[in-house]
Amino acid sequence: MINAVLVFNNNGQPRLTKFYTQLDTQTQQSLIAQIYRLVAQRPASACNFLPLPPILSSQGASAASGPSDAPTQITYRTYATLSFIMISTSMESPLALIDLIQVFVEALDRMFENVCELDLIFGYETMHAVLSEMIVGGVVVETNIEKIVAGVRSQEGTTGKRRAVQAASASLGRGALPTLGAWR
Amino acid sequence: MVDTIEGRGEVDSGTGRGFEKSLYDLIKGLRNHKGSEDEYVQGSLRECKAEIKSQDIDKKATALLKLIYLEMFGYDMSWASFHVLEVMSSAKYLQKRVGYLGAVQSFRPDTEVLMLATNMLKKDIVSPNIPALSLPLATLPHIITPSLAMSLLPDILSRLSHSSAVVRKKTIVCLYRLALVYPDALKLAWPKIQDHLMDDQEDSSVTTAAINVVCELGWRRPHDFLPLAPRLFELLVDSGNNWMAIKIIKLFATLTPLEPRLTRKLLRPLTNIIQTTTAMSLLYECINGIIQGGILDIEDNFQERDEIAALCVGKLRGMIVMDSDPNLKYVALLALNRIVTTHPMLVSMQQDVIMDCLDDLDVSIRLQALDLAAGMVTSDTLQIVVNRLIDQLRLASSRDTSNIEAVSGERTSDGPEAHRDSSSSNVVDTLSMPNTYRSEVIHRIVDMCSQNNYSELVDFEWYVSILIQLVKLLPPADTDEYWSEPPVSDQDSLNGLKTTVGFRIGSELRNIAVRVKGVRPEATRAAESLLLIDNKTILFPATSASNGVLGHVAWVSGEYADYLKSPSRTLQSLIDSSTVSLPSETLQLFLQAIPKVLIRVIRSCEVQETWKGEISLLLARVIRFMESLAAHPDLDVQERAIEFLEVLRLGAESLQSEPEGVPFLLTSIIPNLFTGLDLNPVAASAQKRVVLPSDLRLDEAFNDNLPDLFQDIDSSSTGTEHYGTIQQFYYVSAPTPATQKMPHIQATPTELQLDASYQSSYGGETDLLNGLDRKRADRRERYRDDPFYIAPVEASSITSSPRRGLPPSAGGDTLDIDSIPIVDLKLDGVPSGVKAPGVQENYRAHAISRMEVATDENFGSEGLASHAPLAKVPGESGPKRSLLQVDSSGLGNFTLGAQDGQTGQDPTLAGDSGDAEMMKAMQNVEQVRLRMQRASERIQLEGAPAEGTLVRKKKKKKATMTEENHDTAKPKKRKGKKDSR
Repeated sequence: MINAVLVFNNNGQPRLTKFYTQLDTQTQQSLIAQIYRLVAQRPASACNFLPLPPILSSQGASAASGPSDAPTQITYRTYATLSFIMISTSMESPLALIDLIQVFVEALDRMFENVCELDLIFGYETMHAVLSEMIVGGVVVETNIEKIVAGVRSQEGTTGKRRAVQAASASLGRGALPTLGAWR
Repeated sequence: MVDTIEGRGEVDSGTGRGFEKSLYDLIKGLRNHKGSEDEYVQGSLRECKAEIKSQDIDKKATALLKLIYLEMFGYDMSWASFHVLEVMSSAKYLQKRVGYLGAVQSFRPDTEVLMLATNMLKKDIVSPNIPALSLPLATLPHIITPSLAMSLLPDILSRLSHSSAVVRKKTIVCLYRLALVYPDALKLAWPKIQDHLMDDQEDSSVTTAAINVVCELGWRRPHDFLPLAPRLFELLVDSGNNWMAIKIIKLFATLTPLEPRLTRKLLRPLTNIIQTTTAMSLLYECINGIIQGGILDIEDNFQERDEIAALCVGKLRGMIVMDSDPNLKYVALLALNRIVTTHPMLVSMQQDVIMDCLDDLDVSIRLQALDLAAGMVTSDTLQIVVNRLIDQLRLASSRDTSNIEAVSGERTSDGPEAHRDSSSSNVVDTLSMPNTYRSEVIHRIVDMCSQNNYSELVDFEWYVSILIQLVKLLPPADTDEYWSEPPVSDQDSLNGLKTTVGFRIGSELRNIAVRVKGVRPEATRAAESLLLIDNKTILFPATSASNGVLGHVAWVSGEYADYLKSPSRTLQSLIDSSTVSLPSETLQLFLQAIPKVLIRVIRSCEVQETWKGEISLLLARVIRFMESLAAHPDLDVQERAIEFLEVLRLGAESLQSEPEGVPFLLTSIIPNLFTGLDLNPVAASAQKRVVLPSDLRLDEAFNDNLPDLFQDIDSSSTGTEHYGTIQQFYYVSAPTPATQKMPHIQATPTELQLDASYQSSYGGETDLLNGLDRKRADRRERYRDDPFYIAPVEASSITSSPRRGLPPSAGGDTLDIDSIPIVDLKLDGVPSGVKAPGVQENYRAHAISRMEVATDENFGSEGLASHAPLAKVPGESGPKRSLLQVDSSGLGNFTLGAQDGQTGQDPTLAGDSGDAEMMKAMQNVEQVRLRMQRASERIQLEGAPAEGTLVRKKKKKKATMTEENHDTAKPKKRKGKKDSR
């Protein structure tokens, strides 16, 4: 199962945190900080899998010893200024998780039309809504972008949210930020 | 939907409505207060606190949204949990959504208000509005507790038959999380989930969700899911959904070990997919499934097995070699790592590509390759692999010292790391090789060489030289502390030290010196070379790196001082003024080594003409060094320093008073403090296995009157004679006891009584030895029949203890196994300690022969446990839950009602048509059984109407509770655990 989904920007500022287990705020923050440190030092050419940060690896869990409840995989993917991270157990396929992140981002892109970091800051709730259409309780429930987007739209409609976000971003010089269209 | 949009508008447009800020204002404010964000946030938090108490639900929701946003940055909002509930109960959907989001993000196991939410959750679960209904389904997995699960179960179950696929799929997942905290939920939910899984007409999303859940459940109880195999098979072949196929293959990998016939059935479709699919993820999972499912182990058809093995390994090799995608490289290595444990031969054929991966630019890939290299290493390849790794390390560290420019062109991509470490002296070193990676490499080298008590290692002299090289290549120590939070206690900091590479190398050197007698001189010289102060600047450019190593090498040089090349230089390095600043753990070992080396120096001085001057000079210097530590803040250091200080002062005194010849005290008495039986490696677990005598009471006080006793001592000013000696020892200035005792010794060196042990140091050598021998003989006699007493090794049985003072020479052949004390223990099983010395008889037949490696002494046959890496602290072995981990262990002991009594027969693989029929029959049986069970539950509740929707909830609750009582105490125990957590 998926244990946590994190999104933060190049400076390590969280943009979305979702833990599928209850974890105290302080531990959450140190986990984010450690993972950010790992992500920040990786070159663009590196693969999309992180070693376990100390806070998770202290248990000596190893991925090779068959299925368990312990999180053993961290998959990340960086788009423009944002990094998307999924922490999961060995029951998830690492390559499928990369695709899942892609689905998430594409769904966001669909929701925000050419999504950028600023959209996600102001569209904070919508981002959560998209995620909860995809993953419930750490289990993937939907991978079809159409269905995900339809699910979110049925919650908030297509216009109200969008208008608010546009207003917000226009006032802050939205054009200055690179869009996700340029993701690698 | 109209009202939801309105709600949204109100949440968001707080700006126009009054003083309070909207989330938008908050974010904008944060961006405008760069540098003083914390101040701004604190101000905002205060505002939120006021706003959230407002009667106005719009204001409340806005405040909550802001709090949730701030919570993401680590600002606590646990105090607002009641307000979260208030917003959750809002009538407007978008406000409700904020409330539910607040619950997901901020509720913790200790949040108590949850109990108040039960009714509201019930109401929302049966809401006609699908988005509103989805909220509790998505939120419950985060906040569920056993009692909440129990009361909500009926309502959630009813959602399984909802008309919308969205609701059904979320319900299935929600039920899975319910079952984790409340396993009984699965008993009721499973038949329904199974129905959805079996239904061909079901929406594909729902089927996928069900498969995902089964996949999570599957590895816990694979037996229960074997009957699903035909349907899973069908879905795998026909669905064409790669996401689902991946999960099904994962699931099959846990099922096949239980049902060998399944492997044969799967072989063809999996091979087919491997050969045809274009999706790399599916291809990879197929290979992975074949590996993990043990399909490579099938025994009846070797040809087929070899084919598939070749196919898999070939594909994996292709992923490594041909594809430029680092992800594929990584996962291929991951898969190979899984194969290597069972089929090392298959993997070692791919050695060439794996070795290339050791030089990959990507650290993750390198680490995987390193794992793999460690896994497939044999005595033939060990040196090649290690040398390659050492070259790599050397290259990296030489790059540290050389100019940055030369390499930056090659590896600019690693750029972001450079600033990370700019504080350390080596700014460049992280460019291509982060220190963590270097530490890992060193750990791995040591792992490889020392595995199975050095069974793969042939040339120990080579290993010693490797260890020396590793010390030179130690990364700056800052990385080891880099992650760890500040140590909470001394114990923690000590444990931290134990995991450092330096410590590891040091203890390896010590291990070799202790275990492998043949290489002991070399090991001691190596330790000496590390210790010498002249080498320090060359060996340890970063001072902190040396900490772990120095303690061990000091111990080795002290313990085996006879092999030292230049003892006087070693001694000088030990008492160098720079040593004083070493950490106390290291200093303790230094202090212990100093007298040993000193004795060795004195012995070598004796033959010279100027011995007296030299010895007194040496003594004076050592004494001065010890004096500088006599007030050390660390108690251990202080105690040892003072003890040795006193002894050495006595020695210096005797040297003064003795006109000719080296005084007896220095030639014999002090040396005898440190000689005796050789130290053997003892397993860490050995002590625990010593059975305590039945009459030993550790919990009882020695004397109930302890405070009074202390008072007595304090009040009697002079006290007993014994107390007087202690007083004298500590408080009378040092020279006094020496002058008192010295004439005494000279006059009657052999007449001293030996009944008190501390006096033995003043006794003559012969007497001392006689006394010791006599005592030993006594003890042997007393404990002859005691199976737990390890008798000291007789001088005649040389080989039983490889570290006796005598050279083993030809004695290796006449190994007398019975003389090994462990055998006498006659505990169950063959002691592991016996085998190794017996196997390695041919001691030093030629220069690089198999050396005799002493294994840990232990009781019983748990030898393996003792080879656990040093970093593991014994006593902390209990299974601890990892962070983020969802505990599904409750399901482990849980039998799904559906498969009761079905384990014996296996209808699944008889044939496809038969399978389907059998499945149907089983379903029917199950349905009937369930109906009967429900009926019996109904009967148990006398007086309750048979069909009353109103009381249904209560009924269920009671029914499940009675069930729980039947179900032993397991679920209850779990519940308690969950609650207390």
